[in-house]
Amino acid sequence: MTEYIIRRLLINIVVLWVVATGVFFSFHALPGDYLIRQLVSQLEVQEDYAQVVAEARRRLGLDKPIWQRYGEFLWDTARLDLGRSLETGRSTWQELAQRYPATVELGVLIVLVAFATSIPVGLLSAIRHDSWLDNALRAFTVLHLAMPVFFLALLVMLGVLRLDLWTIDIVGSPHFWTDPAGAAQKYAIPALAGGIASGAGIARILRSQMLEVMRNDFIRTAFAKGLETRLVWVRHAMKNAMLPVLTVMGFAIIGIVDGAVILENMFNIDGVGRYLVTRLEMRDQPPFQGTVMLIAFVVVTMNLVVDIAYAWLDPRIRYR
Amino acid sequence: MAGVEETAAPPLTGALARRPLAAGLPRLALFVRRKKLGALGFALVLFILLVALLSPWLKRYDENLQFQRPNPDFNPTASPLEIARNPNVGAPFILERFQRPSWEHWLGTDQAGRDIYARIVVGARLAAIIGLGASLISVLSGTVTGLISGYFGGRVDFCLQRIVDGIQAFPGIVLLLLLVSVVERPNLPLTVAVLGFLGWAASTRIMRSAVLSVAASTYVEAARASGATNVRVMLRHVLPNVVAPMIVIFSISIGLYILAEAGLSFLGLGPYDQVTWGKMVSAGRNFVDRYPEESVCAGVAITVTVLAFNLAGDAIRDLLDPRLRGTR
Repeated sequence: MTEYIIRRLLINIVVLWVVATGVFFSFHALPGDYLIRQLVSQLEVQEDYAQVVAEARRRLGLDKPIWQRYGEFLWDTARLDLGRSLETGRSTWQELAQRYPATVELGVLIVLVAFATSIPVGLLSAIRHDSWLDNALRAFTVLHLAMPVFFLALLVMLGVLRLDLWTIDIVGSPHFWTDPAGAAQKYAIPALAGGIASGAGIARILRSQMLEVMRNDFIRTAFAKGLETRLVWVRHAMKNAMLPVLTVMGFAIIGIVDGAVILENMFNIDGVGRYLVTRLEMRDQPPFQGTVMLIAFVVVTMNLVVDIAYAWLDPRIRYR
Repeated sequence: MAGVEETAAPPLTGALARRPLAAGLPRLALFVRRKKLGALGFALVLFILLVALLSPWLKRYDENLQFQRPNPDFNPTASPLEIARNPNVGAPFILERFQRPSWEHWLGTDQAGRDIYARIVVGARLAAIIGLGASLISVLSGTVTGLISGYFGGRVDFCLQRIVDGIQAFPGIVLLLLLVSVVERPNLPLTVAVLGFLGWAASTRIMRSAVLSVAASTYVEAARASGATNVRVMLRHVLPNVVAPMIVIFSISIGLYILAEAGLSFLGLGPYDQVTWGKMVSAGRNFVDRYPEESVCAGVAITVTVLAFNLAGDAIRDLLDPRLRGTR
C-alpha cells in the first residue's frame, strides 16, 4: 500500500508538470499580452509609447525569453510560489485569499443541495423500482442532466421574480459570517441551480448502484434473517452503493469549479471562477497559471485520497 | 477471422450486420416497445436533425433581419432643434423590439427586433454541427491514441495517460476558455476542434481499457503468433472488436458537447459569427423578468436537444455495451 501511494504521488507530480506545461504554453499562444490589453482598453497611445511599453515589459519581466520564463514558472510553482498579479502586484495567494471564501461558500452550498436532493431521489427511485414514482424521479433527473446550469438558474430566478419572493441584489459581496441574510439571498439561486444540476448525476449513479447491490446474496440474507426493511436498505445496501458515488467526488470538485465559473459570472460573485475568467481576459498570466495549478493540485490529491479511502472502505480491493 | 466474430459482443454483430429492410422492421418495433424512452430520444434526434437540415426553408425570415415599422410620429421636415426635443420625430422607422408571440413572429422578437423563431431554427443547425462534429473528432482521435496506448503499453501508454490525467485535472470550462481564446474571435471550426480535444481525454481512457481487454484475448495472441504485424493485428483484430465502445462514446457524449458549447456561448466566447442558443439565453437574461421569450425558448431548445441525444445515446449504450453504464 505504501509503495502504491508513493508511486501515485510521483505520478501526480508528472501530471502536475503536464498541466503546468499545458497552461503555460497555451497562455503564450494567446493573442496579445497584458500590456497590449492594457493599451487597448485604455487607448493611451502616446508619442513615446513604444518606449513606455518596452520599459513596462522589462519591469514586469515580460521581455525574458520564453524558456527562461517557463523554467522560472516551474521552479516557482515547485516552491509553492504562485507568482504575482501583473495588475495589482500582489501575490496570487493574497489574491486568492480574498476570493476563495465566496467560492467555498457557493461550493459547500452546492454540495449540500446536491446530496440533499440526490440521496432521497436515488434511494426512493431504487426502492420503488419501476413504479410511477421511480419513473417520475428518473424523468426529473434525466431532464436536469440535459439542462444547462445557467438556464436552470435563470428559471429559478424567474420564479423568484415572478412570485416576488425576495429582491435579487447582485451588487456587493456579503458573506455568511458577516451578513447571513444578505448572503443567503445572494447564494440561494446559484446554490439551488448548481446543486440540483450536480445532484441529478449523483442520483442517477446512486440508483443504478442500489439496484446492483440489491441483487447480492447478502441482501437476501439480511432480509431472510428478519431485519427491518429500512435497516437493510440503509445499512446494507446504501453503504455499499455509496462507494462508487465516492469515486466521482474528485470529478465533483471539478464540476463545482466548472459550475462556479458560470454561476459566479452570472450572479456577480467575486470568487475564484470569476477571477480566472477576468485574469484570462486581462492576459494576467501568473495568477491564472497559479490558480489553475492550485485547482489541479486539489483535484489530483482528491483523486488519490478517494482511491485510498476506497481501498480502506472496500477491503476486497487491493492495489498493486 | 471466424474467431473474431465469435468473441465480439454478440449484440454488436447483430445490430451492425447489414440486413434487408423487411427483416429490420420487426426489430425496430421490438426496440420501440422495449426502449420507449430511447425510441422517443431517437424520434426527437431525427426531428432536430431534420430541422437543422431544413433550417433555410423552415426559418421564415432571415435570422439577422431587424424588423422595423414606419414611425407614425416621423416628421421629415423636423428641424434639429425639434429632434433634440423629441427624438421620436427624427426616426423614420421604429425597431419592433420585444414583440409578443404572434402569427408574424411565432415566438416573438428579441431586443434587436429579430425573429426568435428564425434564430431558434438556425441554432439547431449549429447545435447539431457542434455535437456531432466534436463527438466524431473525440471518438476518432481517442480511438487512435487508445489503440496505441492499450496495445503497446509501456512508455507510450504512460505518457499518453499522463496527458489525459492532466486534461482531466483541469476544470473543463477553464480549459475551453483558454483554448478558444487563442484567436481573437473564436469561430465554429475552432470551437468544434477544442471541444473534440477536450473529449479526446475521456474517450482515450475508455478506448484504452476496451483495447486492453481485447488485446489480452487468445485470438490476438494467435494472430501475433502467426506472424501478423502490429499494425495488422491492431486494424484487423483489435479495432473491429472495439467498435461497440466507439459507437457508445460517440452517441452518449453528443449532448455534453452541446451543453459545453452553450456554456461557452453564455460566457461570451462562442463562435462569434453564429447564432447559438447559449448566446440567446445570455442575451435575453437581462430582460427575463418582462420578456422571457428569448431566454426561455433558447433554454428549452438546448434542454430538449441534449435530452434527445442523451436518451438515444443511453439506449444505444444499453443495447451495445451495458457494462459502460455509469461511465458518464
